[in-house]
Amino acid sequence: MHESGPIYVGIDLGTTNSSAAVFDGEQVTPVRNATGTALTPSLVRIDGSGRISVGHRARKFLAHDPDSVRGEFKRLMGTRKGLTVASNTRRPEELAAELLRALRRDIETQVGVAPDRAVITVPALFELPQIAATREAARLAGFTEVEMLQEPVASALAAGFRADHSHGHWLVYDLGGGTFDVSLLAARDGFVDVVGHDGDNFLGGRDLDWALVQWACEQIEREHGVVLSRANSAHTPILGKLKRALEDAKIELSQVSEASVVCPDLIPHPDGARHLELQITQADLEAICEPVFARTVDVCQRLLAANRVRANEVERLVLVGGPAAMPALKKYIEKALGIELARGYDPMTLVARGAALFAASANLDARPKAPAPASAHRLWLRHPAVSADLKPHVVGRVMRADEQGAPTQIKLSRNDNNWESAWVSLNQEAGFIVGVELIARRSNIFTIAAKDEAGNPVVVDPPTLTIVQGMSLSDPPLSRRIGIALASDRVQVYFDRGEPLPARRTFRHHTVETVARGSDTCLLKIPIVQGEFDRAHLCRLVGTLEIPGTGLKTTVPAGSAVDVTLELDRGGNLTARALLADSDQVFDEVAHLLVPEASVDVLEATYQRSGNRLQELRKAAFRHHQDGDFRQRVETVARGLDGVGRDIEAARGGDDDAGLKARRMLLELDAQLEDLDAEIQWPALLEEAKWKLAWAAHWQQKYGSEHEQRLFNDASMAASKARERRDAVELERQVGLAYDLGFNAFVRDPQAWPSLFEQAAAAVDNARDLPAAHALVADGRDALAREDRRSLERVVRKLWNILPATHKQRRQAFESGLR
Amino acid sequence: MATPPPTPGLRKLVRNPFFILGLTPEASRAQIEREGQKLLSMLQVGFGEASHYHTPLGPQRRTAEMVRHAMAELRDPSRRLCHEVWAAYCPPPDDCAKPVGSHTPDQPDPWEGAFASFGWRMS
Repeated sequence: MHESGPIYVGIDLGTTNSSAAVFDGEQVTPVRNATGTALTPSLVRIDGSGRISVGHRARKFLAHDPDSVRGEFKRLMGTRKGLTVASNTRRPEELAAELLRALRRDIETQVGVAPDRAVITVPALFELPQIAATREAARLAGFTEVEMLQEPVASALAAGFRADHSHGHWLVYDLGGGTFDVSLLAARDGFVDVVGHDGDNFLGGRDLDWALVQWACEQIEREHGVVLSRANSAHTPILGKLKRALEDAKIELSQVSEASVVCPDLIPHPDGARHLELQITQADLEAICEPVFARTVDVCQRLLAANRVRANEVERLVLVGGPAAMPALKKYIEKALGIELARGYDPMTLVARGAALFAASANLDARPKAPAPASAHRLWLRHPAVSADLKPHVVGRVMRADEQGAPTQIKLSRNDNNWESAWVSLNQEAGFIVGVELIARRSNIFTIAAKDEAGNPVVVDPPTLTIVQGMSLSDPPLSRRIGIALASDRVQVYFDRGEPLPARRTFRHHTVETVARGSDTCLLKIPIVQGEFDRAHLCRLVGTLEIPGTGLKTTVPAGSAVDVTLELDRGGNLTARALLADSDQVFDEVAHLLVPEASVDVLEATYQRSGNRLQELRKAAFRHHQDGDFRQRVETVARGLDGVGRDIEAARGGDDDAGLKARRMLLELDAQLEDLDAEIQWPALLEEAKWKLAWAAHWQQKYGSEHEQRLFNDASMAASKARERRDAVELERQVGLAYDLGFNAFVRDPQAWPSLFEQAAAAVDNARDLPAAHALVADGRDALAREDRRSLERVVRKLWNILPATHKQRRQAFESGLR
Repeated sequence: MATPPPTPGLRKLVRNPFFILGLTPEASRAQIEREGQKLLSMLQVGFGEASHYHTPLGPQRRTAEMVRHAMAELRDPSRRLCHEVWAAYCPPPDDCAKPVGSHTPDQPDPWEGAFASFGWRMS
């Protein structure tokens, strides 16, 4: 039973196992479940009569009643997918809620308080719908307030919280059951900054398990002539049993050099089921797991390179997650990265411990709030709950300061009686700022005293505040770029990768077509996308803000201004708002926040298409005599496609997670194919760049200002460097810049706007709002006759706004209605 | 009243993180975090005093996003260096370059720039 003081709760909701920890301001303690262990298997069982059991209890049924048990739902969070458990269908977040409810009960048993508030961790590369689904699971489990925290940040906080005088870079390598995250952190003067992170949302211990299953299937085929396939749903229970037996062998191999895998009557055979007996050695395990380990090392090296940090500059390598306990993994990673492993951390509970520490920094005391005495005067307080600084500030304000007997002076006293502030008079806004002094590495509780105008003591609420002194964490950075897809298939970036959270940004866009008031067929779509690509179709659609014609006060003509605001909180929770500037109407309903479904047929078709593109590239590589590096990249894509083929096969056999993984991989391979295509197109791109630069140089020379010419020269030089590096993206960017400068100069020519007007007028029949377009053309003709250049320019710009992007571009940009 | 910055170049100057946080380029990492946290708290509580900051081009509006962004900028040593150069080259008027909300009875006004005057660098 917890007597007094705050309780901060952190929960690591894992793919394979989950855990919780509590922090009381001094100590972080893992929460034990009914079996006395800190790890609860992420399994939920629902029996025929709808009774639910979770964790170890559910695990007991895996062997003889596997249909009633469901695990690995974390990677399916945020999808539409209903999961069937026995005869019941549940959404992934509902199953996660059962798990969270069980953890909440365990916490109550341990500390005597059912927590209302908690921090729950999510993989750094979780997409927005997955974060929203986790939040929903917490709500269903009875939590009233939760914050999401990225898993690697939690691990780092736990690893560094009590580290004295730590200075330098750390790499936190977190290989969970279903996801891989790696973070680079810099510790300086008691502060931990997340310098950057990377990872793979679909790489984890589960992939190691399936690689082992694949190996075992090959042995079975060789010895018994029986082909077991993930594509065959009849083989699902057999493969499930095999996987569990191999998991046990994998754990055994942490201690011994050879293990046996024995499964009676496992192998189906016309002569009757046969026993399976296999021997697996440490060396076999290392060879089987090597490709997965190598992929994680690639991600680590990519992260270090992106941040220009050499391996020998990394002071600690902290391993987190179940697979981190494998000696084979430790050996491989230490050797491949050349960084010594940090010892003395429990890789299984580190994330939950960090989450509990973060709950303190977010001031999420899990205890239900005690009612304040009726006579108490309410204070609005703001201060860091965890601070590396020994002298932070407490800022406050007296609510209803005009009431009789309201406080006019405030004093803070530390509860060890060794420090107190002077009496501080409230300022004109009934506020105060007090600098307090903390005892290092302690939970510092301060009593708040108050006096009224006559000098009488006043009761205030809250009567105390707590600040924990320890390593504190800077604002977590965003792991993926977020923006709005435009009709031109481009992305307007709102938040770049690395942006400190929380963040809010507003941009003005314009509609590409008219949305008629009252029409139920007209809809303005604003797709929100996440990903690193400039082309919208290569990014993930994570939500759509929809403005229906039926909800409009007035018709919105093509070219109308729309101010879109996106806002992200510290846990990556997104809110979006669109303001129609003319009618002053606000829309903030994000129509769907789901990971798109991965239907097997669509995956199959995309897979075929990618395969065809690959063949074309192979031929083109031969025709254009591309170098060895190019051919190697083509073969890397080919290997990736092979893996996708296996995942699609597994998805056909009922493995939804494999389907999602295939969808993600196909998107990434598609981007790689585009890059390879761009390289094939390089000569054409160069030709176009030359033409554009020559055109822009001509007009710059004729009409450009001195400043513009300097900028033009800079852009031309940067384009030239990009050409030398064969950097297509940078070349396009710099040429675009130079072209814009050329255009600015071109429009100073007296014949420029008339010529641009004629071009736009020639395309007017393609406009979606024909009456408006024709009216503009008429206005333009008048302006032309009057030789009114300013009016003509206005007309041309308006025409540009209502001339559509191509149909293909819009389809690719998720039917975006904005430019 | 906030003065609108005239050009994108000058906008960069008035958005200098040191100006936003009301600190001098000599500020240590701890001072930056302390001041940033204090300003965020003041903005949340709604103190009018925190809603504007001083720049060589006159006062500008301050928001919580700007404070967070300024703190993030100054955490990166290479980006900080660039901001230091600009803040030192073109400081706001002397009487404006001091942290807001520092007039508490137990904290006499520090002499800003004292360490720099003695040739010390606080980092």
